[in-house]
Amino acid sequence: MAVSADRAPDPAPARARLRPWSRADPVAVLSAARHIADELKDGLTGSGVRAAARGVRRLLEADRVGLADLSGRPVWAPAPPDDEQAAKDLVEEVLHSETKGGRPPLVALPLHVHHELAGVLVVYGAVRRSAIRVAADWIVEALERGMLEASAEQAAQAELRALRAEISPHFVYNALTVISALVSSEPDRSRELMIDFADYIRYSLARHGEYTTVADEFHAIETYLALQRAVLGERLSVQVRVAPEVLAVALPYLVLQPLVENAIRHGIEPRTGTGHVVVRGEAEGNDCVISVEDDGLGMDPALAEEILAGRGGTDSVGLANVDRRLRSVYGPWYGLVVETAPGEGTRVVVRIPRFQPGVMPG
Amino acid sequence: MTLSVLAVDDVKAALDELCRLLRESPAVSDVSAAGDPLSALRMIQNGRFDAVFLDISMPGLDGLEVASLLTKLSEPPAIVFVTAYEQHAVAAFGIGAVDYLLKPIRAERLADALMRINRGIPAARPPSEQLPDAMAALPVESAGRTRYVRRGEVMFVEAHGDYVRLHAMSGVHVVRMPISRLEEYWGPAGFVRVHRGFLVALDAVRELRSDSVGGLLAHTDVGDVPVSRRHARDLRESLLAAARAGRLDRSERRV
Repeated sequence: MAVSADRAPDPAPARARLRPWSRADPVAVLSAARHIADELKDGLTGSGVRAAARGVRRLLEADRVGLADLSGRPVWAPAPPDDEQAAKDLVEEVLHSETKGGRPPLVALPLHVHHELAGVLVVYGAVRRSAIRVAADWIVEALERGMLEASAEQAAQAELRALRAEISPHFVYNALTVISALVSSEPDRSRELMIDFADYIRYSLARHGEYTTVADEFHAIETYLALQRAVLGERLSVQVRVAPEVLAVALPYLVLQPLVENAIRHGIEPRTGTGHVVVRGEAEGNDCVISVEDDGLGMDPALAEEILAGRGGTDSVGLANVDRRLRSVYGPWYGLVVETAPGEGTRVVVRIPRFQPGVMPG
Repeated sequence: MTLSVLAVDDVKAALDELCRLLRESPAVSDVSAAGDPLSALRMIQNGRFDAVFLDISMPGLDGLEVASLLTKLSEPPAIVFVTAYEQHAVAAFGIGAVDYLLKPIRAERLADALMRINRGIPAARPPSEQLPDAMAALPVESAGRTRYVRRGEVMFVEAHGDYVRLHAMSGVHVVRMPISRLEEYWGPAGFVRVHRGFLVALDAVRELRSDSVGGLLAHTDVGDVPVSRRHARDLRESLLAAARAGRLDRSERRV
């Protein structure tokens, strides 16, 4: 802070007096501040605390700087002061009183993050109080930003989790009813169906990795259809066709099953007589195209739009959910396409890129 | 050869069921049961087992730990894990397990696992590499003339008594040879057994089709090939592996 007397005339005496917050080198100050904020991203218990303390010490030109979380054990840069016990006592005192404490050269300030005590900044050395206060404010802002970022990330993850396809209770109870009905009359068949049911549940609950392969999706569909055939009997006729070259294509879990479920629920169940469902997977240039087609009741295209927009009522959340997941993974061009008209059946088409960087089966 | 096996599971009902399925299998001659990992280790020490079917989640030593102890034996038995969760699969194969069965167990998956165990045990069969690629084309007689049918032309093979019928775009050609022999020769070239009486060329499969009754067909340009339940998994896995390796590029298939 001192301007050497024998180096007159100083070209910028006023600026020099303002150090360490000198405007002489804003780039260095800003980058040091950013560095501190980055290191505090994970909070006062994170791995960057020592580096942050080092940064604060350089900015303040203090002898020692310590950052403590609520445990009251400061992380020091470069090392604890000679009278470490006095510093620790001061930290305890500030944690207790939640107001600033100590007297120069040893000063401590509480750090309130979102109005709650989160830790203490301790400074040892000839540093102006105002500078220490500004530094403490900066640290608090960095901590608050870090918390916001972490919670935004959690929110994004929670949304993806919430978008996972859900097991349909309607189907679960139907399947269990059929299986229990067959236990005494056809024990072998009921056992077979029970194993199918276990596979269905296992696949639906799979949490490992976000992506699966077309091969596994089709296999899961076949298990699901085996159970549906037990429930619906002669009323359901299904054909599943998949071209081998798309088997290895990666896609999010449970894209197909809600579409097939929808076809059965809205196309087959409400009508009399046999309904046909055709599920196809094939390559079209660089895309893999999967379609689910039924010859059931069909619907007004405007209603299909409502359903895709998630306004179709609780019965059809499945389709809107798949649509959103596909768009969030592959971009806005890769949503579902629904072709339908009243009395004309329904065809739902999924188009996904065959080769997508970053999308790997889990 | 028939196998002497040990089943290990700490849940009594699950152990009984596993033993029942093993006893029903013609590939198994002798089944022993252990209700906890320690008695399993004791039994393995005193007896000789070709294979051990191990539950993974058990108190004390879990199945993975038991297996890694077994691999230290001079002649370790084949290990098949039996578990409810798929997340152990990677670790299981890391230990060198022959197979990995999910609970509840399907009889045909168990049969598949037993087949894998038998394949792993060196059989007293002459090695098939004796005729390296002498079978890339087969002579067929038609109207008194002999011509050669290239393996690359053939889309699937159908057994017909001591003969096989080779289905190709150029027609159906009959050759005197049992299908099992042809499978040995052509297996390495991408022909897969999909049924007791059928071999199919992986790169000739245009579509897998399944219908309401649960039957599976491999569709080729010269007709549909039935796929039996016990071969379905093998075919799917082979096709998936071929697709991953980019070996199913349509443009390469000849007419």
